[in-house]
Order: sequence, then C-alpha cells, then structure tokens
Amino acid sequence: MKNTVGAKVAIGVCALVMGIAVWAQPGQPDAPAVPAAVSASAAADVGAQGVPAIVASAQAPVPVASAPAVAAPAPLTRPALVAQSSLNGADTAWMMTATALVLLMTLPGIALFYGGMVRKKSVINTMASVVAIAAVVTLLWFAFGYSLAFTPGNGWIGGTSRFWFEGLSYLKDAGKVSVSHIAPNIPESVFSMFQLTFAIITPALIVGAFVERMKFSAMLWFIVLWSLLVYAPVAHWVWEPGGWIARMGALDFAGGTVVHVNAGIAGLMCAYFIGPRRGYGREAFEPFNLGLTMAGAGLLWVGWFGFNAGSAVAADGRAGLAMAVTHIAAAAGAVTWMLGEWIVRQRPSLLGLCSGLVAGLVAITPAAGFVTPGSAVVIGGIAGLACYWGATGLKRLLQADDSLDVFGVHGIGGIVGSLLTGLLASPLVSGVQGSIATQALATLVVLAYGAVMSAVLLIVIRKLVGLRVDESAEQTGLDIAQHRERIGT
Amino acid sequence: MLPSERLAIAARLHVLLRRKTGRVTDTEWLAVNAEYAAEIVRFARERALEPGMEDVAEWAGRLEQAMMATPAPRKTLLGAIAPPRAPAPATGPAVARESEARKPGWAESLFSDTRPPGPRDPDDADSGRYVGGLR
Repeated sequence: MKNTVGAKVAIGVCALVMGIAVWAQPGQPDAPAVPAAVSASAAADVGAQGVPAIVASAQAPVPVASAPAVAAPAPLTRPALVAQSSLNGADTAWMMTATALVLLMTLPGIALFYGGMVRKKSVINTMASVVAIAAVVTLLWFAFGYSLAFTPGNGWIGGTSRFWFEGLSYLKDAGKVSVSHIAPNIPESVFSMFQLTFAIITPALIVGAFVERMKFSAMLWFIVLWSLLVYAPVAHWVWEPGGWIARMGALDFAGGTVVHVNAGIAGLMCAYFIGPRRGYGREAFEPFNLGLTMAGAGLLWVGWFGFNAGSAVAADGRAGLAMAVTHIAAAAGAVTWMLGEWIVRQRPSLLGLCSGLVAGLVAITPAAGFVTPGSAVVIGGIAGLACYWGATGLKRLLQADDSLDVFGVHGIGGIVGSLLTGLLASPLVSGVQGSIATQALATLVVLAYGAVMSAVLLIVIRKLVGLRVDESAEQTGLDIAQHRERIGT
Repeated sequence: MLPSERLAIAARLHVLLRRKTGRVTDTEWLAVNAEYAAEIVRFARERALEPGMEDVAEWAGRLEQAMMATPAPRKTLLGAIAPPRAPAPATGPAVARESEARKPGWAESLFSDTRPPGPRDPDDADSGRYVGGLR
C-alpha cells in the first residue's frame, strides 16, 4: 500500500518539478548562439563555476582599444553549438581529469571515510548508500538536474532545454560541439559531467548524519527529492549567471554554500527527524576501522584538487592558485584541530587530523579562486578550530545525533569559509572585492531553504515509507537487516 | 584499583551471566560505565535469588565494590586554566540528574572534555571514548 502511494507521490513530484521548469522557461532549443551582452552582474565573476567572463578573458586576450577592427566574440548567454576548433584542448583535458578526481572523492573516498567510522554491523549499509546515491543521482542529473541547475531560466530555477541531455551534442561531420555558456572552452559533455560529480558528492555527504538507523528505501526517496528540489535550485541560484544569488554578487568558487552548507543543514535536519541511534550518549559506538577513514580522508584531500582547481574551468593560473591554497588550507586545518584536541583532550587523534584536514578543505572551497596562500592559512586554521567545536561543543548544544558530524564539519566549515571569503577575497587574484554582508545573506538563505525543504521532505517520506528501521533491525545492524551481507571478520 | 582488575571482574561476571542466565553483557563497557554496571549488578542480584546462583551474587558484589573504588578524574590542561562547572545537585534518581546535566545551554557548547560523567582512571584514557560522539 505504502509503495503504491509512494509511486504516486514520485510521479507527482516529477510532474511538479517539470511544471516548475516549464513555468520557468519554455524549452529553448540550441541555436547557434545569438550572443547578447552579458549582464553586468553575470560578468562580475560570481564564482568560478559561473564565470564566463573570467574564462573568456583567460583564453582570449582583450583587444586593445586602438585596434577595433578585430571584434571579440561576444560571450554566450546559453548553451550553444560551436565549432570544435573553438575548444581549448588543455582546458578540456584538465576538466576531464578534475571530473575523475571529484568522482574519486565519493567513490571510494566518502564511502571509506564514513564506512570506517560507523560500527561494524552497519559498514555495508553506509557504503551501499554512497554507491546507490552515485548511481541514482547520475540518472537524475541526466534527466532533469543538469538542466534545472545550469541552463538559463529565471533567477530561481533553470530551464528544460537540457532535460535528458537533449541537445548535448557532438557532431563529427559538421565539426560542431555543444558548449555551456558557463564554460565555453570545453565540451558541454565534460562540463555537465564535472558538475554531476558535485551533485553526487553533496547528498553522499548527508549520509554521515543518519547512518546506522535510516531505512535504505527512505534514504533513496530523500536523496531523489532533495537532489531535485534543493540541490538543483541552489546550484542555479549560486552558479548560473542568471541565478539570484549570483546576481547579488555572492562569491562561491567551488561550493561552500551549494555543497557544504547545503549538505550540513540537510544532515542536521535528518538527524533531528530520524532521531538518535539507540544507546546514543550512553554506549560507546566504536568505529569499525579508522584506517579506512584515513584512506578516505587521503582520497578526499587529493580529490579536492579536482574539486577546487577544476572549478576554475580552465587549466590556467587561477586553477594553479586554487590548487595551492586548497593544499595549504587542508594542512592548516589539520594542524589547528590537532592542537585543539591536544590541549583539550591531551591526545592528538588520527580521526582529529583527518577531520581537521577536511575542515580546512571545506572552508577553502568557496574561497579557492579568490584568496592568496596567506589567507588560505588563516581560513584553514580558523576552520580547524571552528569545526572541532562544531563536532564537540556545538554538537552537545544541538543535541542531535548527527552521527559523523556532517553539520559540525561541513556546515560549520562551509559557513566559516563563506564568511571569510567575503573578508579575504583579493581583488588582485580575481578582480572582485568580497562583502561579508553579501556572503552572510547568501549563507543564511541556503541554510534556511535547506532546513525548511529538508524538513518538509522528511515529513512526507515519514508518512510514505517511514524513516527508520525497527528496533531489532537496528540492534542486529543494517548490514544484515537491510542488505543480508556482512563486512567480514 | 587498576583498570585491568576491574575488567577482570567484569569479564568474570559476564561469563557467569552468560552461562547461567543467557544475558549477554558488554564487558569493556561494564568495566567503565557506572550506570551500566549498576543495572547489571541489579539484574544479577535479582537472578541470584534463584537456587545455584550464589556465585553470581558474589561477583556482582565485587563489581559494585570495584566501581565504587574510582580515583579522581584526570586533569586536563584546559581544566587547569578554567575550573570545572559545579556538578548538578544530587537529588532525584540518577537518570533525572543525567538529563539535567545534559540540558543544552551555551555552557554545554564550550570546549571541554566531552566524555560523560562516570568512573575514570588516570591510566585509562579510553574511559567513555566514543560515547555521545566520535570526536
């Protein structure tokens, strides 16, 4: 009965999503781009994932005023078919590499990172959740997500022109290839794949908040709806040049708000709605294998080079700087968390070091293409301490069993990074001046929208299929109860 | 009393309960958590009223004694700088006191040792580790 109702609701949700998108913009087929002037705010570099102006300037030197005979091609304002010769081989190669790096962060990075921290009886379930999310979100992205997030529509949601990757073409004989207006130097297939890996890792991060007690089916429902109704709109607001937060001038180079604040607040809501694990606060929940967690953290660190440096959408100096500041911030985060733990607990732990480096990486994410290496030390260092507090003191205050500290690390790290980007963004690096007020507003909006929508989705799913497993299943462990598998000895 | 001695008593009680009552206990947790130990001692004494269970009562008593003989908690560097908060008044049942102590407030969010109250040993840094959080 519940399944029937669930299927109807799923159809309803899909219809709603499609309806919103149709309302937002009638389908606009590809046409050889009729360039229009890019709006001032769009040109004002809203973040590398939505920076046509920067990319264009990096590839095509601006003609000098005294030689007006050669007119620079006007920037694209929507996806278009262009000549294959207009692509940049180096950019394309780097973006394909970056895409693989970011996917590696999830598979197996997040799976190992989280799998090592849960109890032995739920390792399989944790890893299976991450793999399932990667598969399901991929299909959603292909069907709806990419179009809703990265095609022009209005300020709130993208259009429908790329549903089912319609028009995402490579025409060998005609010598044409489709490109996104956001990344005109690489094939749109590569750009959409790069963005897909972000769409995968964001919901995968949320898994850490509800491990060891959420039904697998409920998890899938939540991720499907959340990806379409929360991730895609927020990505559009922040990264598509027509998005309302992008037009406001908020800076988010690689996903401080879109990925980390978004995932953090969703995780916190999940923890509240699903409730704590049985025995939480009274029993010791021994992590299965912190060696796996360390391996996962290492993959995250390396993969983050693709995440941040790839967000320059070019193989250029800005990407190089983004890579450098990413590494430095990770190191600073690991050191300050370690020191904080050493002072408070008298022991520096491996989990603390791994958590600290992730905290630094999270915080530098929105700032990576805007700050100097010196600022990266500050951002990473502050984030290490702030996230240590988020995963300990704040966690006690919030009284939610956010099991693997998704909000404490990603939420707090994302907030810290977003605010510090406003303070430390250097006009010498990117040509833009940050504003703490604008950053705070963007962060608050994402927090509020993510909290409300996640709560609504969880309420709906609780009615449909229930959110958590029964007591005996939780006692037995989700590996056996949900998958009939064991991790082994 | 050394942690190893307390663990040995807990292990002995674990075996007796497992063999004679079918009750499975967490030996390591039994040796460090006073609340859990008190519950198991209560259970053991209840079952010890049955014939042939004298040794269960005896080892439950030993565990109770061992849990009472607990040294002062370890001092941390932060604790030396900032004095610890006053404990909650010891009125009402233990559960009520615990929930009172866990009531959220800004004081709860300060940097401090996150381990729950309970028996500690200077040489046993793992007391309460992974209770209420991983970090």
